[in-house]
Amino acid sequence: MAIDVTTLSTTRRRFLKGTGAALAASATSGLCLPALAQAQEITIISNLSNVGQRDILHRLAAEYEAKSGAKITINNMDHEAHKTAIRSYLVVGAPDICFWFSGNRMKAFVNKSLFDDISDLFARENYKSVLGATTNAVTVGDKQYGLPMGGLLWGLFYRKDVFAEHNWTPPKTWTDFLAFGDAAKSAGMVPMSMGTKELWPAGGWFDHMNLRINGLDKHIALMDGKVQYTDPMLTPVFDKWNDLIKAGFFSPNHSSFGWEQAGAALAQKKAAMMDLGGFVRSAFPEADIPQLAYAPFPEVATGVARYEDFSVNSVHVPTNAKNKQGARDFLAYFYKPENLGAFLAAEGAIPPRNDCPPSKDPLVNAAVEELKKVVGTSQYYDRDTDPDMAQEGMTGLQEFMVKPERRDQILERLEKTRKRIFG
Amino acid sequence: MPRFWRRNRHWMTPALLLLPGLILFSLVILAASFETVWISLHDWDGIGAKTWVGLANYVELAEDPQFYVSLKNNIIWLLIFMLAPPIGLALALIVNQQIRGMRILKSLFFVPLVLATVTVGVVFGWVYDPTYGLLQLIFGLFGGTAPALLSDENFATLAVATAGLWPQIAFCMVLFLAGLNNLNEDLIGAGRVDGARGWQMLRHVVLPQLSQVGFIAIAVTVIGALRSFDMVAVMTTGGPYGSSTVLAYQMYEESIFSYRFGYGAAIATVLFVIMIAFIAWYLHGLIKAERSNA
Repeated sequence: MAIDVTTLSTTRRRFLKGTGAALAASATSGLCLPALAQAQEITIISNLSNVGQRDILHRLAAEYEAKSGAKITINNMDHEAHKTAIRSYLVVGAPDICFWFSGNRMKAFVNKSLFDDISDLFARENYKSVLGATTNAVTVGDKQYGLPMGGLLWGLFYRKDVFAEHNWTPPKTWTDFLAFGDAAKSAGMVPMSMGTKELWPAGGWFDHMNLRINGLDKHIALMDGKVQYTDPMLTPVFDKWNDLIKAGFFSPNHSSFGWEQAGAALAQKKAAMMDLGGFVRSAFPEADIPQLAYAPFPEVATGVARYEDFSVNSVHVPTNAKNKQGARDFLAYFYKPENLGAFLAAEGAIPPRNDCPPSKDPLVNAAVEELKKVVGTSQYYDRDTDPDMAQEGMTGLQEFMVKPERRDQILERLEKTRKRIFG
Repeated sequence: MPRFWRRNRHWMTPALLLLPGLILFSLVILAASFETVWISLHDWDGIGAKTWVGLANYVELAEDPQFYVSLKNNIIWLLIFMLAPPIGLALALIVNQQIRGMRILKSLFFVPLVLATVTVGVVFGWVYDPTYGLLQLIFGLFGGTAPALLSDENFATLAVATAGLWPQIAFCMVLFLAGLNNLNEDLIGAGRVDGARGWQMLRHVVLPQLSQVGFIAIAVTVIGALRSFDMVAVMTTGGPYGSSTVLAYQMYEESIFSYRFGYGAAIATVLFVIMIAFIAWYLHGLIKAERSNA
């Protein structure tokens, strides 16, 4: 027995090593592969919930493999699960490329040196000339840490046939807005479809009200924790919002259901409008999508320039990636106008590059046109502020929508949280 | 070697068989518990450096109104779940009869136990749906409107815990059914000879023999109520505005969404202490009962 032990253990060890490497390669990122293979290996973790986009990513990867001889492994993750998993895999077992969100969500990882500075790729491919202002979404201190993907322009969505039938036009001013609410209610519809189970739709409504009343700079100052939640500048925001709640603008029991059910109510003509991004289309039956139209959130305080929530997704190279050069080369291929255009068309998002082929989707084209009239953009409540603050804030905003009489307590609680986080 | 083995096998065999379990238990449960307590003494976002803050997380917890909401909800869960053992026992007694078709009935009562709790949560979410749910259909029959249970801060926890009660009753029923199968025939026969029937038989002969099972049913139910998480996550995500959170869910939310692992660990530690206190009390009772039997 004793003689056999050495040979046995080496084979066993070798066996374990081999299995471990195979497992790691298939499960996460190919950490255990020998250095030689890594040079040709690119691993991607994607969080794409859209099947069309996943298919295009796989097609592009296959094309690139054939062209360059590199081996690309794509691991798809559930969108929500990815939000928690990324925090661990960026530290241990990073892929070469991963999907994430720009703005504050990206900054959190940049500050911890978990995303690689890809300014060199920007310079090499001359991205700044085609990206324009979107570059800001992935820039921290003059350096770029990601490539902006599709953008989502937030606003009010409605059905053209419903509006034609009632002879309505999208409200442009606050007076219009209140009158529109009355008209919708007398037509037996909920003026604004709302589902706050996931909290963020309440955050988005707050964004719109605050951007329309206080403008972008003050809004961002609040998001950065520089303005107190008890500041008098927020009084008109909550006053006006309260007027809408009292007037029955929003779906009853909105905390019971999510945005998808709220979107379905819009599709079923039970609600007149809904505040969301272009992905509201996924709550619509295929045949009804052509009826969907976009209108900007109405003006609230006169004289405030038009600012909008425009959230940008992005793709990044982790600092701990094994094959940073390979990642850059693949990204350059992936980011070619025709490839990126096809990828984003599947989602209905607005391309960040101005040289992408024009979209066949009228909703995207309308958003692109609207975006030209916008003076400045923020991301979205939970993407602009600290995640801890966002969680507390969105809960408070949901509570306000149900119990507006608790406004003062809610704002004091938020102020306490703001002080704890931002000092 | 063989002689050594022969001489020591009476204690080595069980030791070797227990070893893998012990190693796993100490790694996965014990070490993780100690690490949680350790983390709860730090300010940590899950990635960066841990900063020692001593008991600051606990001090903040003591002042956190959300913590008391969670604690209160855990107690509501506990109270509602306490219905499971008696109802389970009643069902077990009913379906334990030798009647044709009883097997089908038995398996129907058993069904909720087969479903994942998440599934139960989703299904009950539909039942409670204020527009299309079963509840609304029932209210609609009488011309009424069902309350939106999951949107109401006063009812959300009751509604979720009631949904959680369903599989728990089935679980208790199965425990008691097993207990009923193990009844001592001699005692029942002796009871019959003495003229005990129906209620008297149940009260003085059957129930005393089920006391051990009852004890287990209560213990499992209490722990089930305290660690409730998945139903809350699926049905309300702690909402509306945090009114239906429980300690386990608040811990998850603080750690995963707010990136406050130290604070989350402090909540976990509090929950851990509550459970330990309960388990100590339970073991104490168990040992006492065994001593008095012996």
